Amino acid sequence: MTRDVDSGGTDPDRSDSIDGGVARADGGVASDTSGESAGRDGDVDRQFDEIAIARKGRWLGYAVVAVIVTYLFLMALETVEWFRADLPAYLGTFAEALQDYFPFLVFGEGPIGVAFAPAGFLEYVAFIRERNLLYESGFFAGADGVLEYPILLFTQTGGPIRLFGAAGETLAIGFAGTVMGFPLALLFSILGSGRVTPFPFNFLFRGTMSAIRAIPALVWVLIYVPLGGIGPTTATLAVATDTVGNLGRLFTDELEEIGDGPVEAMRTTGASKPQIIVFGMLAQVRNSFIAWTLYVFEINVRIAVGLGIIGAGGLGLVLSVQQGLFAYTNMMATIIVIFLLIVSVEMVSQRTRAYLRAEEEPMAAIQLIVGFPERLMRSLLK
Amino acid sequence: MSKITVDGLTKRFGDTVALDDVSFEVPEGEFVIIMGVSGSGKSTLLRCIGGLLEPTEGSVRIDGRPTASDDDDVAFIFQQHNLIEEMTAYSNALSGSLGRNGLSASLLQLQDDDEKYRSLEALDTVGLLDEARSEVRQMSGGQQQRVGIARALVQEPEVMLADEPVSSLDPGSAQEVMRYLRRTTEDRGLTTLTSLHQVNIARKFGTRFIGLHRGRKVFDGYRNELTIDAIDDIYGDIDTEGMFVSDETGARNDPAEPTEDEAAP
Repeated sequence: MTRDVDSGGTDPDRSDSIDGGVARADGGVASDTSGESAGRDGDVDRQFDEIAIARKGRWLGYAVVAVIVTYLFLMALETVEWFRADLPAYLGTFAEALQDYFPFLVFGEGPIGVAFAPAGFLEYVAFIRERNLLYESGFFAGADGVLEYPILLFTQTGGPIRLFGAAGETLAIGFAGTVMGFPLALLFSILGSGRVTPFPFNFLFRGTMSAIRAIPALVWVLIYVPLGGIGPTTATLAVATDTVGNLGRLFTDELEEIGDGPVEAMRTTGASKPQIIVFGMLAQVRNSFIAWTLYVFEINVRIAVGLGIIGAGGLGLVLSVQQGLFAYTNMMATIIVIFLLIVSVEMVSQRTRAYLRAEEEPMAAIQLIVGFPERLMRSLLK
Repeated sequence: MSKITVDGLTKRFGDTVALDDVSFEVPEGEFVIIMGVSGSGKSTLLRCIGGLLEPTEGSVRIDGRPTASDDDDVAFIFQQHNLIEEMTAYSNALSGSLGRNGLSASLLQLQDDDEKYRSLEALDTVGLLDEARSEVRQMSGGQQQRVGIARALVQEPEVMLADEPVSSLDPGSAQEVMRYLRRTTEDRGLTTLTSLHQVNIARKFGTRFIGLHRGRKVFDGYRNELTIDAIDDIYGDIDTEGMFVSDETGARNDPAEPTEDEAAP
C-alpha cells in the first residue's frame, strides 16, 4: 500500500526528466551542421538519457529503502512499548532524581533557574572516600612512617592495584582477563591462518573464535557460575574467554594482511616452521598486535564494569547496590569514578599506541616525564 | 664439477609456459647474469633454482642434490628486499642464521657471539656497519637492498641467487648494490646467479650471461660474445642499440672499468 503511494509520487518526476532529455536532444540536433558531430552529439544524448534514467532508478531505490526502514523502525518502537510508556508522567520524578544526581546544582533558584552550590561536590567525595572507590584508605595503615610506604606498596596483598580500591578491583578483572586471554588468542590466530594450517583445518580454529565471540562476556560469566558463583574470579575467566574470541579475530585479520615477501625470505634462509612463523609473520605485525591488545584491554575494563553490575565486584557492584537503594548521589559518584578509570586507561593505551605508530626515535625518559602535562592536555582535547 | 646443473627445466602455470626446456651448467665461483624482458622467465628460473617453485619437468641440481627452499647453502636476494621492516638492520642480518639456530635461541637473540660478529661483519661488507641499529623501514631503497645482501651473506651460502636485486633502485644505488654484490661474492668464492633487465648494468658487472626470451634460452656466453645481435635476440625488436652505445661511452668514462675488464675472462 505504502509502496504504491510512493511510486505514484515519483512517477511525475520521471516523466519530467524524459521531457527534459528530449528537449535537449532537439536543441542538439538544431545546432548541428556537420554529419560527424551529429553522430557524436547523438552519443552524448544517449549517454545523458542513460545517466538520467539510472539516476531516477537510484532515487526510487533510496525511496524504497527509506520506506522499509521507517516501517521497521515503527514496528521496533511498538515492540519496545514506546507508545504505551508514559514518559511525560515521570518527568517530575526524573527532575527530582536530577537534583540527587547533581547535588552541586540547586534547581528553581537564581536568575537562570539553576544555582551553583560547590558544597555539593563534597557529597561525591564523601561517598568515594567512605567506600574506598578510588583509593584504599587502610592500605598504608600498617606503616610506621612515610618511608615505609614504598615497601608496603609492593608487599601488601594486591600491591599497587589494590591501592586503587574498588576501581583497582575492576581494573584487575580487565587486566588479568586480558593477560590470560592473550596467549590463546595468539595461538588460535596463528593456527587459524591459512599460511600455517592447511585450508579446511584452519577454519576449525577460526570457527572456535567465532563461537566464543557469538557469546557476550556477560553470558560467559553465567556459564562459569558453577565454578563458584558470580564473583571477581569467574568474571576474570569470562573476560579472558571473551578476549580469545575478540583479540584472536583482530590478530587473524592482521595476519591476513602481511606480505608474502618476508615469509618467503625466511624460507630461503633455511629457517624451521616455527622460526618462519615468528620471524616471517609475527615480526611484521608485532606493533599492531601490541596496539590491538591495548585496545582490547580498554574494552575489557569496560566489560569489567558491566560484569560488576551483575555481581562480579568492583565499581559495577557498588553502582548496582546504590541504584537499588535509590541513592542517586552515590550512584553518580560511582559513575564519576568509572569515568575517571576508563578515561585514564584509554589515555595510557592511546599514548602507547601513538608511540608505537610513531616513526620517530624513541622518546627519552626525561622527555616522558617533562612532556607529560602537555601530552595529557593534548589527549584530553582529542 | 659444475655447481649448478639445470637440465631440461620446464615450468608451466596453467596454460602459460614460463620456462621451456632450459638447460645449462654453472661452474663454481661464476658470476652469471640472467637477462631478458619482463615475463621472459627470469624470476621463474631463479625461483626454481632456489626451490621456491617446483619444476614441471626437468631438474635443478646444486652439487648434485635436488633443490629445496630450506637449503641453507642457497641464499636468495629479492627484488622487493623482503626484509622485516619492523626490525633493525642488525636483526635482519642475523635472521640469515635462522637455519643454524633453534627457535628459542633465535627468538631471544641467544645465538653464539660468532653469529653476531658474522652479522656485523656482513653489514660492514655492505658498508652499513654504522646503520646496524637503525630500523630497516627508515632506510633508503639502496640501503635496504644492501641489508638484504648482508642477510644472505650471514647465511654463509655457497650459491647466491638474486632476483632483480636493483630494479627498484635509482641508477646510482643500483650500481652501488651491484658493486657490493659482485665484490662480496668474489671475496667469498660464491656461485652467483642474478637476473637483471638493465643491459648497461649487466654488461658492466657480469662475466657470463644467459639470455631468456619467452621462456627459452636464447643466449649463453661470456662477455666478449655478448654482441648487439645477441642482445637483439634477447630483447626482441626494441631499440637496444641506444642502450648499447650509451653503455659503451659511459663505461669508458668510468674509472672502475679497468678492474671490470680484468675480472672478465
